[in-house]
Amino acid sequence: MNNEAEFAYRVRQALDESADRLDYRVSLRLEKARRLAVERSVAKQAAPVWVPALQLASEGAPSTEDSRTRMSAWLLRFGLAAPLLALALGIVGIKQWQNDRMVAETADLDFAVLLDDTPIDTYAHQGFGVFLREENGM
Amino acid sequence: MATREELSEFLAAAERRAYKQALFAVRDQDNALDIVQDAMCKLAENYGDRPPHELPLLFTRIVQNTIHDFFRRQKVRTTWITLFSALSSADEDETDPLESMEARPGSSSAESAADHVERSQVVNIIEQEISRLPARQREAFLLRYWEDLDVAETAATMKCSEGSVKTHCSRATQALAKALRARGIDL
Repeated sequence: MNNEAEFAYRVRQALDESADRLDYRVSLRLEKARRLAVERSVAKQAAPVWVPALQLASEGAPSTEDSRTRMSAWLLRFGLAAPLLALALGIVGIKQWQNDRMVAETADLDFAVLLDDTPIDTYAHQGFGVFLREENGM
Repeated sequence: MATREELSEFLAAAERRAYKQALFAVRDQDNALDIVQDAMCKLAENYGDRPPHELPLLFTRIVQNTIHDFFRRQKVRTTWITLFSALSSADEDETDPLESMEARPGSSSAESAADHVERSQVVNIIEQEISRLPARQREAFLLRYWEDLDVAETAATMKCSEGSVKTHCSRATQALAKALRARGIDL
């Protein structure tokens, strides 16, 4: 084990030496990569974080970091789901209202036809329409 | 949380070793540099808010994972290339793959070693022999003895058991010592 460690130590020295004398091109490229990484880190830290409005109400309340994180995650999910739910309910409501209106109109029409003294075949007769127009014109 | 300066200092200290490790694995300068850049960006973007003392192990793991990802992508690419080569006509590809494999030992590193002082020659030979080790043995050896990870950390990074790490390290040491002795170097 000692021999292995000693041997590894000597290899390590050689590797360190080799790593210290890299090509200029490689060193330059590594430096560029490092700068890019640091810039990305800074950009990510500086990026604005969206905070749900409702979370501000609980800001003063004593709570742990975890519960606050859970709360904001829940609010975020709710904030996304609520408008979708409202839209779905609205569509169903409009469809239902249109159905009811159509049924009511049809019922009124049927009711009027049934109560009228005029025989129902009359409505299908071509001359009846002309008669009604002339009567209105008078 | 690591500040911008701390992150930059850490990367400056670790980048050369990371590059060398990637180079041993992929044997291509540009690919090795791409791997190190990817690893640096992943560390900065995903773990830039971690305390400075956690960065070395995280970075080591990210570098190893990025190397593995590179090989996975290369495997997929090779599969497609092989498929298309098989579909294309036979007279298009008359090159011998052994020709390109034989080109490596006579490359610039071996030639430049002849012009360097004795120490440089020894370092180059050591590097060559390390790059010839089986991938898992080399990975274990470098993580354990160059990156200074303990056995448990090395096992976690390599996603294997601690026993396997010890075996890989022991075999790597023996194989490397034997190869160096055969080339007249006794460390």
